[in-house]
Amino acid sequence: MAGFLIKRFLQAVFVVFVVTLTVSYAIRFTGDPALMLAQGAGSVTEEDLVRIREGLGLNQPFLAQYFDFIKGLFTLDFGRSFLGGTPVSQLIASALPATMLLAFASLIVSIAISIPLGIRAAVARGKWADQTIRILSLIGLSFPNFWLAIMLVLLFSIVLKWLPPSGMDGFASFIMPALTMGIILTATNVRLVRTAMLETLQSQYIMVARAKGLSESKVLYKHALRNCAIPLITYFGLQFGGLLGGIVVVELVFNWPGMGTLAFDAVASRDYPVLQAVITVLSLMIVFVNLLVDIAYGLVDPRIRTE
Amino acid sequence: MINKKGIHAAFIALAMAGSFMTAAPASAAGTLTVSSPQDPGSWDPVDTFLVNWASVATNIYDGLTYRGPDLKLAPGLATSWEELDGGKRLRFTLREGVKFHNGEPFNAEAVKFTFDRLLGEEGSKGPQKSNYAVIEKVEIVDEKTVDLVLKAPDPVLLTKLAGYGAMIVPPNYIKEKGEDYFNAHPVGTGPFKFVSYEPKVGIKLEAFADHWGGAPKLSNLNYRFISEPATAVAELQAGRVDLVIPPTIPIGMIPTIQDDGNLEIVTSPGPTVYALRFNTRDGITKDPKVRKALILGVDRDTIIQSILGGQADPIASFQGKLSFGFDPAMKPLPYDPEQAKALLKEAGVAPGASVQIDVRGNDATFNEVVQAIASYLQLIGINATIKPYETNVLLNDIIPAGKTGAMFQQSWGGWTLDYDNTAYSMYHSGEKWNPYDKDAELDKLLESQRSITDRAKREEILKQIANYAADRALEMPLYNLNAIFGVSKRVKNFAPVPDSRLRLTDVTVE
Repeated sequence: MAGFLIKRFLQAVFVVFVVTLTVSYAIRFTGDPALMLAQGAGSVTEEDLVRIREGLGLNQPFLAQYFDFIKGLFTLDFGRSFLGGTPVSQLIASALPATMLLAFASLIVSIAISIPLGIRAAVARGKWADQTIRILSLIGLSFPNFWLAIMLVLLFSIVLKWLPPSGMDGFASFIMPALTMGIILTATNVRLVRTAMLETLQSQYIMVARAKGLSESKVLYKHALRNCAIPLITYFGLQFGGLLGGIVVVELVFNWPGMGTLAFDAVASRDYPVLQAVITVLSLMIVFVNLLVDIAYGLVDPRIRTE
Repeated sequence: MINKKGIHAAFIALAMAGSFMTAAPASAAGTLTVSSPQDPGSWDPVDTFLVNWASVATNIYDGLTYRGPDLKLAPGLATSWEELDGGKRLRFTLREGVKFHNGEPFNAEAVKFTFDRLLGEEGSKGPQKSNYAVIEKVEIVDEKTVDLVLKAPDPVLLTKLAGYGAMIVPPNYIKEKGEDYFNAHPVGTGPFKFVSYEPKVGIKLEAFADHWGGAPKLSNLNYRFISEPATAVAELQAGRVDLVIPPTIPIGMIPTIQDDGNLEIVTSPGPTVYALRFNTRDGITKDPKVRKALILGVDRDTIIQSILGGQADPIASFQGKLSFGFDPAMKPLPYDPEQAKALLKEAGVAPGASVQIDVRGNDATFNEVVQAIASYLQLIGINATIKPYETNVLLNDIIPAGKTGAMFQQSWGGWTLDYDNTAYSMYHSGEKWNPYDKDAELDKLLESQRSITDRAKREEILKQIANYAADRALEMPLYNLNAIFGVSKRVKNFAPVPDSRLRLTDVTVE
């Protein structure tokens, strides 16, 4: 286990290095942050811009700026936002939990819908229930998430006035963003659960379980589901990582104060330190989730633990 | 990347279908909720030029002078002022009995501290300093009198004292709490005092009952930062936001708001004017006749009505009607394709001649406008090719280096709304924004008004400059875009401001 962890750790370091270097380099093509800050100033002289760039540390060569950033990482000091000078760590500290909560809620919504539906489809293979579920998930798969978000807002916020259209403010505000993300995930997850279940249901131990006279729900949920849990956990875990990255659009539509909105604003205002930090933290998280998935394998399946 | 056009289209279509809905529930009495598109990140006056700083901070701070929606200068923290030494010394008599929100007294010390800070080390880190560089030093005459000593007379300075970097800040508070704390916990003398700030989420203010101008009519003012226009409008429709301020609502979403019985669109001419400027040095646009022909050949009124939904005013010079220096007697050249063709013929330009128009690629509305312009030019025998650039490339590499096509987009506007700033930058020889033209007479006019503090005399010269530039057809003036506000009908006494410097003291809510 220790060797495995060390290998994973080194992989993570490499991934983060490549990601941060690419992002730090690429964002510098978006233009001059000094000009952005001076927008609206009647006439900006070249001296003003030089002075502002110096204040932001942009007069240093790129590699020096990059290594400053890497050095800061070790003390969780991500520098300060170009926009107003707020410490970036403070922005991340409030945005990360918001995004994590939303991603988690979306995953719960998706699992809560897709497991029963997937099992139902597998059991009723080829029958009308299976067909209906498959068609529904195909429809779900083809929804662009921003469109779904807008439909939900129109229905629940503007017409019915049941839910707040945006912001993170109590339980009610989670419903629409989590549903949006969740429904789209569900579409793929239902199919996944169905396939995994179909395979498992053909195993001999299921036959044995049925022969023992166990109730159908016990057979399905205790024997079959547990045994097809490994591919599912892997997939849900990876999905959580993907969720963190893919949440930008949904956060933007719902004005969710999370990492996606933070990243979007940072790109729009050329806020290099914020964007670098957001990308770094997200890539760290994805690497970390992958690691957790591997560990979870061992917990579910004792065969992996002892190998 | 989000497909904003798609979102808007879907929203408009569906919101129109659903516009029969019932009345929005009113929030707590006396609280106004405002949607602002951007969090400036710091509330310190010296840190930013973002207009959405001003739409909040104008409620928190006061300047020595005050300028409201009518754009007329009025006393602020100074009750009166006089010019000494031929305009090189401004003497201010300060208002008495004024206190900052933290109880600290406002006095000559505070004024000196504010400007020393702005022009010193702290101000050097931000973009505000350069706008006040004409101030050499501040001298305290007595507790209630203070002098600004200037390097040269500056007729626009009194206007500048009404906003942004010149907002008066509390010396003891900043010294005690430190700069970082002040950024996130602003204290001023304005009609609303700071309550709380959550970066990227919002800022809350409450009425400051002891304000020298009287207590504001609202008890609370909440700002929420919502950058996505569709989301801001949905919040407005849901009744959770009372006011959506510019720049948020795109022209395409105006019908959504107009069709909702609880909402209305309120507009004011904004500070930004649009023009296609000419390369007066090379090619066919070197000839003023050709430039005039191109202007005559484009039906700008139709463009405003169709593409801009009427949310703009045609302009005759490179300024809007609220600008100081605007000449109401000047009329835009009419749409006259026949005269345009005749002028082109006279200038020896054969049909089929081509021009290149450089634009900012990310300005979707303007790209539509310029396509219409190209079609109009086609009708008078000019083939226009449109070349979109990344905004910063166009602004930093192409225009200043004189590498544009025959015409190029310029969108311009400062919050001072004084034509001097525009005209000097556009027409004076050697200026960054004037790569092509050299005109000694125009230079002289531009320089002469900079040292005149007599407003009437200066306005006369500015009008003269506008007419001179139009006679030479230095640009194709297009339009002055409106600032668009989405307002809930529960909001009363709301006056739209042209410059984003919103002060919401008179507003009430039902």
